[in-house]
Amino acid sequence: MKSEYQPKVIGFLCNWCSYAGADMAGTARMRYPQNIRIIRVPCSGRVDPLFVVKCFQRGVDGVLVSGCHPGDCHYTEGNYHTRRRFALLREFLDYLGIAKERLRVEWVSASEGQKFAELLSDFTTELAKLGPRSRV
Amino acid sequence: MARIGVFLCHCGSNIAGAVNVPVVAEAARKLPQVVYVEDNKFTCSDPGQASIQKAITEHKLNRVVIGACSPRMHEATFRRTVAGAGLNPYLLEIANLREHCSWVHPDQVEEATAKAIDLVRRAVARVAWQEPLTPKHVGITRRALVIGGGIAGIQASLDIADAGYEVILVEREPSIGGHMAQLDKTFPTLDCSACILTPKMTMVGQHANIKLMSYSEVEEVSGYIGNFRVKIKNKSRYIDMSKCTGCGECPKVCPVELNSEFNENLGKRKATYIPFPQAIPNKYTIDKRGYPPCRVACPAGVNAQGYVALISQGKFKEALEVLRRTMPFAGVCGRVCTHPCEKDCERGKVDQPIAIRALKRFMADYELKAGREKAAPVEMTKEEKIAIIGSGPAGLACAYDLVRLGYPLTVFESAPEAGGLLRYGIPEYRLPKEVINNEISYMQELGVEIKTDTPVKDLTKIFNEGFKAVFMGTGAGISQKMGIPGENTPGVLHALDFLRQVNFGVKVSLGNKVAVVGGGNAAIDAARIAQRLGVKEITVVYRRGRAEMPAIPSEIEEMEREGVKIKFLAAPVKVLSKDNKVIGIQCIRMELGTPDASGRRRPVPIKGSEFTIDVDNVIIAIGQGVDKSTLPEGLDYTNWETLSVDPITLQTNIDGVFAGGDAVSGPADVIAAVAAGKEAAISIDRYLSGQDLKEGRPEVREKVKDVPKEGVVKKERVVMPTLELGKRGGSFAEVELGFDEKTAIEEAKRCLNCAVCSECRECEKVCEAKAIDHEMQEKISEEEVGAIVVATGADVLDHTQFSIYGGGVYPDVVSTLQIERMMNAAGPTDGEVVRPSDGAHPKEVVFISCVGSRDKRTGSGYCNKVCCMVMAKQAIMLKEHAPDTHSYIIYTVDRGPGGKIFEEFMTRAEKEGTTYMRGQIDSVARQNGRLLISGQDFLTNETFNIPADLVVLATGLMPTEDAARLFQTLHISYDAKNYLVQAHPKLRPVETAMDGIFIAGCAIAPTDVPESVAQGGAAAEYVLKLFSQESIEAEPMTSIVDIIRCTGCLLCKQVCPFQAIEAETLRDGRTVASINESLCKGCGICVAACRPGAIKLRGFSDQQIMAEVMAL
Repeated sequence: MKSEYQPKVIGFLCNWCSYAGADMAGTARMRYPQNIRIIRVPCSGRVDPLFVVKCFQRGVDGVLVSGCHPGDCHYTEGNYHTRRRFALLREFLDYLGIAKERLRVEWVSASEGQKFAELLSDFTTELAKLGPRSRV
Repeated sequence: MARIGVFLCHCGSNIAGAVNVPVVAEAARKLPQVVYVEDNKFTCSDPGQASIQKAITEHKLNRVVIGACSPRMHEATFRRTVAGAGLNPYLLEIANLREHCSWVHPDQVEEATAKAIDLVRRAVARVAWQEPLTPKHVGITRRALVIGGGIAGIQASLDIADAGYEVILVEREPSIGGHMAQLDKTFPTLDCSACILTPKMTMVGQHANIKLMSYSEVEEVSGYIGNFRVKIKNKSRYIDMSKCTGCGECPKVCPVELNSEFNENLGKRKATYIPFPQAIPNKYTIDKRGYPPCRVACPAGVNAQGYVALISQGKFKEALEVLRRTMPFAGVCGRVCTHPCEKDCERGKVDQPIAIRALKRFMADYELKAGREKAAPVEMTKEEKIAIIGSGPAGLACAYDLVRLGYPLTVFESAPEAGGLLRYGIPEYRLPKEVINNEISYMQELGVEIKTDTPVKDLTKIFNEGFKAVFMGTGAGISQKMGIPGENTPGVLHALDFLRQVNFGVKVSLGNKVAVVGGGNAAIDAARIAQRLGVKEITVVYRRGRAEMPAIPSEIEEMEREGVKIKFLAAPVKVLSKDNKVIGIQCIRMELGTPDASGRRRPVPIKGSEFTIDVDNVIIAIGQGVDKSTLPEGLDYTNWETLSVDPITLQTNIDGVFAGGDAVSGPADVIAAVAAGKEAAISIDRYLSGQDLKEGRPEVREKVKDVPKEGVVKKERVVMPTLELGKRGGSFAEVELGFDEKTAIEEAKRCLNCAVCSECRECEKVCEAKAIDHEMQEKISEEEVGAIVVATGADVLDHTQFSIYGGGVYPDVVSTLQIERMMNAAGPTDGEVVRPSDGAHPKEVVFISCVGSRDKRTGSGYCNKVCCMVMAKQAIMLKEHAPDTHSYIIYTVDRGPGGKIFEEFMTRAEKEGTTYMRGQIDSVARQNGRLLISGQDFLTNETFNIPADLVVLATGLMPTEDAARLFQTLHISYDAKNYLVQAHPKLRPVETAMDGIFIAGCAIAPTDVPESVAQGGAAAEYVLKLFSQESIEAEPMTSIVDIIRCTGCLLCKQVCPFQAIEAETLRDGRTVASINESLCKGCGICVAACRPGAIKLRGFSDQQIMAEVMAL
C-alpha cells in the first residue's frame, strides 16, 4: 500500500535472538514494510533508554527494542533489565508528549522469522495511523 | 582522520536484483570520510576478498565497511580478510543489505535502494568510531562433556575418547542406551538392535577415557568455550555401585511392584531394578521418591508403607520388624491410634484410605497367636544410666529407643503395673491387657528394667543414685472438675478415677440411669463401660455439636449402636441431690458462637432454657490435667499447668531433665506421646555424648509429590468386623475383631506404594555384597570441561491421548514402541506379540500412520520421519513371527520417506503380504471382542471397515520433558517445540550459536539411527578440532570502566549476570567499579545501567551506537 506518509522506524535488535530472527525472515523471503532500520546490539539489555529518546528527538516515528524471550537470554538476565527499563520509559514518554504506542518492546527468538515480519507490518500500520511525530 | 573504504556486494542477483547497487555506490562516495568505494559480484569469494585487501593497501584504508549479507553469516570471514591485509579485524562494520533488505523488499527497488543507502550510511558513521581491539588468548581444558547416553551421545563419547581425550558422559536414566535399547530390530537391515548397540555400550562402560555418570543430570553450566564449569547432580541409587555385583537377589524379595517404563507399561518391575538385562552400568538402582504421606503424617515417623508392603506379600513377621524399628506398640496403636496416616493416605483420593491401623493390629495379633520368640537382650555399650519416670507410652517409647542405643536404664512407675493410661484408662474391650502385657514384656526382654509401685518425687535423689539423665513421662492423670454446685455429692464420679477403678478390677456400682458429661474418648469409654456394667439408660451430655466432638468417630458410632444416647449442645449447671444421693442433673441448652482459642466455636448458654435429666450417677469427663502434687519440686510450668519444656529438645528448666507426653502437652493421643518419647531419647543421647541438642531438628521429611493413579481400579476398603451387638452386653470382650490373613493381604494390596521403595529393607538382608545403603545422599559433582555435546534425544508421544483412535480406551490399541517391546525376546511377553486384552495371538493387525504427526491439533505439526519405516519393519517382523498374521498399513500422504534402501524395504513389506492403503481413519470401535477400523480409501474413493485384532498407532516423537531447562542453563537456542536450533540449518547442523557447545541426534529433530550416529561423530569432530588448537581467542568485546567518571555507586555490580564486576579502592581512597575482563561476556547491561556513563563496551560503545542513531 503506497501512502504519502511513511513512518520511520529504528529497531534495536539483540544479536543472539532477534537479529537472527530478522535474518531468518530474510532467508525465508518474507515480506514486510521497508520502514525499519536495524541497529545490532549484543543484548537488549545494552539498549540505553537515552538511545530511544534520542531517536524520537531526531524525528523517528517509532522505535522497536527486541530481545530474547524471558528465560532464554543469551546472557541470562539481560532481557529482564530491558523489560523494567522500558516499562518505566514508556510512562515517561507520555510525559514527554510522545504516544506510548510509538515504543515497542518485543521478544523474538532466532526461529521466529514470521513473527518478526508480522510484527513489523503491524507496527508500521499502527504508526501510519498515528501520523508523523512532531519534533521534541 | 578515518580513511573508510566501502565495498558493496551484488551477491549475484541476491542483492543486486532488488537494490540498485551503483546508486548506492554513488551515495556512498559522498559520505564523510569515505575515500574509496567498490562493488563486487561475490565479495566473499577469493577474488572478492583479494580485491578488498588490495584496496586496503593501495588506498591506505584504515576502516572498512562491507554492504553484503548478514554479519552473522560472514563477519568472521571478512575479519580474516581485513586482518590478512594488515588491518585490525575490529575496524570493520557490515551493513546487512541482503537478509534485512533485498530479500525482504524484492519488488520495491526505489525503497530498497533508499534503505540500502541508509544502512550503508549507518555503517560508515559507526565504523569511524571503532577502535582496534586485540583478543586475548585463553587456554583450553581438553575434556569433553556429553549430555545424553543414547546412540548419538554414545557415538560422540567413543569418538572423542578414542582420540585420547577424557569424556564425562552424563545420562539421567540408570542405564545408557536411550530408546535404541528398547528396539527389537532396526530398519532397513533388520539388525537386532541390542546386538549392534550393546558392543558400543560396553565399550563406553569399559573405556579408560570415559567417566560415565549414570542416573545423573546436569544442573548448571557456566563459563565459555574451552573453559566451562559444570555442576552435575548424581542422584542416589541407594546402592553402592562399586560393590553391587548385579546378582539379582534384591528384586526377588522386594514387595513393591510397578509398571516398567522400559517395557512401555506392558510389564512390571520392582522398586529395585535394572531396566534391561544388557544395561550399562549393570547395577541395580533403588527407586525411592521421598517419604510416603503416611510416614510424614505420623508424629512418630512410623514407616507404614514399609509394613503394609510386606503384609501384601504375606511376610507378616518381617512386617512387624519394620514397625519395631521405630516403636514397639503394634498391638496397642493398632487398636487405639487416631491414625493421622489414614487421613493423608493417597489411596483415599481414589476410593478410601488403606486401613493402616487395622493392618498394624493384624501383624501384632498374628505374632501373639503364633507365639512370640523371646527377644534377645540388647548389648549395653554405654555406661550412663538413665531414669525414666512414668511407664506410659511416652516413657516406654523413650526407654525403647535408649535401650537399643545401648544405655542402661530404669523405668519408675508409681502404679502397681506398667502401662499408664493404656492400662488404667482405656477399657478392656478396646485394648485387652494381654496385648499391653505382651508388648511390655518384649521391651523388658530387650533390657528395659521397670520398677512398679515406685513413685519418684525427688530428682536430686535420682541423680545421687548415679543416673545421668531423666525423662519425665508422668502424664496428665487427674480429672478436671466442672466447678458446678453438687459436684461433690456421692454418686458423682470423675472419668479417670472411674476408668482406673474398673481397670483395677474394683467393683463400681452404678444405678439404672447415668449421665456422662464430655465429648472426648474418656467420655465415650466411660459411657460404654457403664453400658457393660448393666446401666439401663446412659446419656452423654456434650456442650457442642456432633461435628465438634473430639472422640474417635468409630468409637462414637459403636457407642450409639450400643444404645447410648447423646444430648448435644447442652451443659450441666447443677447436680441435683436428695438425701445426699444424686437424683439428677440440671442442664442448660447451648448454641455455638464465635470460635475460641482451639478454633472451635465457643458454646454460649441460651438464657432460660434449663432442663433436667433424671440420673442416679454423673460421670464427669471434661478433661485431664497434670497432678502437680505428685511431681518433684523445682520444675517450671506453663500457663496451662503442664510441664514447660523447650519445644525442640524437650529439655525442662532443670539440666539433664527432659519431659514429654501428656505431662507437657496436656491430654493428647498415644502416638503423640510416643513421638515425644522418641524426641526425648534423641535429646538425651546427644546430651550424654556432648553433641549439640538442636542441630538438624526438627527433622524435615519431604513428602513425595505427584503419586500417579492411572490404571488404578477402584476397590472398597475392607470393613472391620465387630462383635455382634447381642454379644456385647455385660462383656468386656474386644469389640473390633481384627482381620484374618486373607483379608489383611487383600487390603494391603490396595496400597499405591507412594514412595515406590518402601524401605522395608528386605533387600539388605539378601545382599551378600553389602552394597545397599538406604541413607545414601545425592551428590553434586563439579567438573571443568572445554567442550559440550548435547544429545538429549526425544521421547515417544503418548499414544493413550489419541482416544479418537482408541488409544487409552481399548487395551488392544497399542503404540509402535509397545509392539517393539513385545517382539523383543527379553520383553514383557517373551518375544510374542499378543493382544493385551486376552493374550491371544493377533491375526489381523492395522497400523495407523501419522498419529499426532502433521497434526496441528496435538501440536506436533511436523513429520516425524521414522514412523513409516518402523511400521514396515514391524509388519515384516510380525509376518516372520507368525506367517498367518496379516497387516494393513494405512497412511494419509505417502507411504514413506526417501533414504538408503528405504524404498526397497517398503516394497519388501508389501511383497510379503502387507496391505498398504492410502486413506483416512474415521473411527476405531469395538465389535464382537475385536476392533473395527472404519475410514475412507483415498485411492478407490470407497469406505472401508476392517475388523482387526490389534491396532498399532504410529505416534511421533517429541523433545524430552524438561529439556528447555537444560538448554536455558547452556544458553543455547531452542524452538517453540523445544527442539534445538542449529547455528545454520544447512551448513552448521551440529553447532549452536554458543561456541564450544555442539548438538546431535533427536534433540535437534526426529531422526533415525544412522543419522544420529553421523551427527554424534560430527559433533565429536568439532570437539576434537577445538582440542587440537593451542589456545583460543577470547572475545575482546568486553567492558571497561572509566575511573574518572565512575562515582562508585556499584549499580553495575548488581546487574552483571556473570559476577564480573567488583569494587576497587583507588590510592586516593575512592571506591570505583572494576571489571574482570576474563569473566565479562560483553552483554552491556552495565553500560546501560551506568548513570554517569562511565562504562564503555568495546565494540558497542555509546559513541558507536549514537553515531548509528544520528546517521539514521
